Amino acid sequence: MRIFRNLRQALRGVASNKANTFLMTLGIIVGIGSLTVIVAIGEGTKAKVLDRISNLGFGPDSFSVHAGAGRLFFARSGATTSLSLQDVDDIRALPTVRLVIPRQRKSTRIIFKKEFTNTRVYGVTPEWQIARDWNIADGVFFNDQHMERKRRVIVLGATPAKKLFIGTDPIGKMVRVGDVFFQVIGLLEEKGLTESGYDPDDRTLIPLTTSISRLTHQTYLHSAKVMALSPALVKKTMEDVSLILRENHNLSPLADDDFRYVTPEGIMQWVTESAQALNRMLLLISTVSLLVGGIVIMNILLVSIRERVREIGIRRCFGARRSDITQQFLFESVFVALLGGILGTAIGLTISIIFQRFDLLPTKITWEPFALAFAFSTFIGLVFGIQPARKAAMLSPEESLR
Amino acid sequence: MSLIELRSISKTYKSAGLDVEVLKDVSLRIEEGEYVSIIGPSGAGKSTLMTIMGCLGLPTQGIYFLDGEEVGQVSDRELSRIRNEKIGFVFQAFHLLPGVKAIDNVMMPLLYSDKVPKDAKQRAETVLEKVGLGHRMGHTPGQLSGGEQQRVTIARSLINNPKILLADEPTGNLDSKNGVEIMKTFDQLNREGTTIILITHDQEVALHAQRILTIKDGQIESDQWNENFQKSQASPSGSGVE
Repeated sequence: MRIFRNLRQALRGVASNKANTFLMTLGIIVGIGSLTVIVAIGEGTKAKVLDRISNLGFGPDSFSVHAGAGRLFFARSGATTSLSLQDVDDIRALPTVRLVIPRQRKSTRIIFKKEFTNTRVYGVTPEWQIARDWNIADGVFFNDQHMERKRRVIVLGATPAKKLFIGTDPIGKMVRVGDVFFQVIGLLEEKGLTESGYDPDDRTLIPLTTSISRLTHQTYLHSAKVMALSPALVKKTMEDVSLILRENHNLSPLADDDFRYVTPEGIMQWVTESAQALNRMLLLISTVSLLVGGIVIMNILLVSIRERVREIGIRRCFGARRSDITQQFLFESVFVALLGGILGTAIGLTISIIFQRFDLLPTKITWEPFALAFAFSTFIGLVFGIQPARKAAMLSPEESLR
Repeated sequence: MSLIELRSISKTYKSAGLDVEVLKDVSLRIEEGEYVSIIGPSGAGKSTLMTIMGCLGLPTQGIYFLDGEEVGQVSDRELSRIRNEKIGFVFQAFHLLPGVKAIDNVMMPLLYSDKVPKDAKQRAETVLEKVGLGHRMGHTPGQLSGGEQQRVTIARSLINNPKILLADEPTGNLDSKNGVEIMKTFDQLNREGTTIILITHDQEVALHAQRILTIKDGQIESDQWNENFQKSQASPSGSGVE
C-alpha cells in the first residue's frame, strides 16, 4: 500500500534527522511527562483519601448529621443546640433508615489514680458498636440495661487505656471523668494511626443516657450517625432528614440549614480540593508545554521543509503525488509527537515512582497516562503537522529543484 | 505519432512583478529512439524547455503531447504518474537523497508506482550493475565520487524503464574523465533504444547526439542532424569531453 510506503519514508526521515527529532520531542516530553505525574498524583491522593475515610468508619450506606451550620467537621459556631433527641426519633421513624446512633461528645480529662489523659468522651447508644463494626478486645460493650439505668460504665479506646493503665488490667477499675467515677467494662480493639496522623483509638464511650445526666447535663446532641437500608437509599434518606430537621427546627424556606452532613463523598471532596490546587498548576504547565511542543514541532518542520525542498522536489520528479508528500510529513510529525509521548510517559512514571519511594507525594500508577499520552501526542502531531505537510506538498517540483 | 510534440509552447515567469518570457512559441517533434542535444547559452531557456518536456511544470501557452497524451489537460496526480512511468531524470547536481543507500535511492521511484514490483530489489541491482556500480550498492551518496553519484542517478532514472531520459547538464559537475564515462553510458543506452534528450551548453557533449537543437532567447535557432553521429558511435572512446 502506498500509505505504508510513505510511512516508511517518514520513519527514515525521523531517524536520519536526529537533532531535529530531539528538539521536536522536547516539548512533548515535558508536557506528557507532567501529565503522567499529575494523573499518578491524582490517583494516589484518591487512594489515600479512601483509606482515611474507611478509618472514619463510614460504610457506603451511612452518613452523619451534625448539629450546627458549617461544613463537614467544621461548625460555624461553637456550642450548638440544634440537634435534639426528638430529631433522632423522627429520623429513626423514616422507612429507609436502618439505624440511627445519636452522639454526644466532650473532650475532657480522664483520671486513674495518679495517671491522667485528655481524650474524647462519646455518649452513644449500644448500636454504636454494630454501626462501627468495631470489635471489643477485652470485656464487654455496654447494653440496653446500662442505658436504661444510666449506669456509670465506660469503654476505653486503646490510646487512653495504655496511658492510664501501665502494667495493670483496666477491666473493673474505676476512672474519674470530671467529677464522676466510671467503671471500665470493656476495651476497644486497637486500629492504629491513619496515614494522615489521626488517632481513631483516642476515644472513650459511655451510655448516652449517662452522658446526658452526668457529663454534659443537657439533652442536645453533637451528631447522629444514620445508616440507610442500602447505599442506593443514602441520597433519598439525606433529603428526608433535611425535611424533618428543617420542620422540627422551624426554619423558614429562606434560612440556611442549622445542621450539616458528613459523608464519605464530602470528606473525599474536601481532601482532594487541596490536592487539586497542585494538580491544576501542573495541568496548566503540561498544557502549556504541550502547546509549546506542538508549535516547536510545527516550526522545526517548516524550517526543515526549507532545508528539504530539494528532497521534496526529487521525490516529486520521480512520481510522488502531493498526497504522498503530505502523508510523509504528517507521519513524521505524528512519529515525533508519539516518540515524545513515549519518552514523556517513561520520565513521568520514573518521577512518580521516585515520589512514592521517597514518600514525597502519594502516587498511584494506572493505565490512563499511557492512553492519554498516546491520544494527546497523536493529536498534537496531526494538528501541528498539517500545515507544514500541506506547505511541503504545494511546492512545485520545478521550483523546488532550482 | 511522435513521442514528444510541442505546439507553439510559451512560458512566462513572473519575477518581481515583471513578466519574463523564457520560451517563445516553440514547436518541436521528437520521435522514439532519437538522441537529441539541446544546446544554447545559459538563460536561453534550455532548462525551462526541459521542465516542460519533463512534466515538471506546465507551459503558459501552447499544447504538449507526450506519448499521445495531452499534458496540461491532466491533474497533478496524473502528471505525477506520467513522470513516474515515462520519464527518467538525470540532473547536473545529481539530486540524490542524502544519507540514503545507493540501492534505495535507485528504488525510490518505485515507491510511487501504483504497485511496487516484486523484483524491485533485483531490478535495482540490475540497473546498478549496468552502470558499473554493482559493488557500491550499499554506499550513501556522501561515500561516492561525483562520477559514481551520477551513475546512481542514471540507474535511478532507468529503474522504471522510461520512454524518455531527460538529462540536464549531466557532465557539468564532473571532471573530464568521468564525463567521458557518463557520455559513453548515454550512447550505449541510446543504442539499446532509449530516447535521450540531453541539455548542455557544451559543444563536445552535444556532438554525442544524432540531432542538435540550438536555443537562443527562448526560440529554436537551428535544428540539425549531426553528420558525425555514426562516427562517434563507431569509436566509443571518441573525442569525448575535454
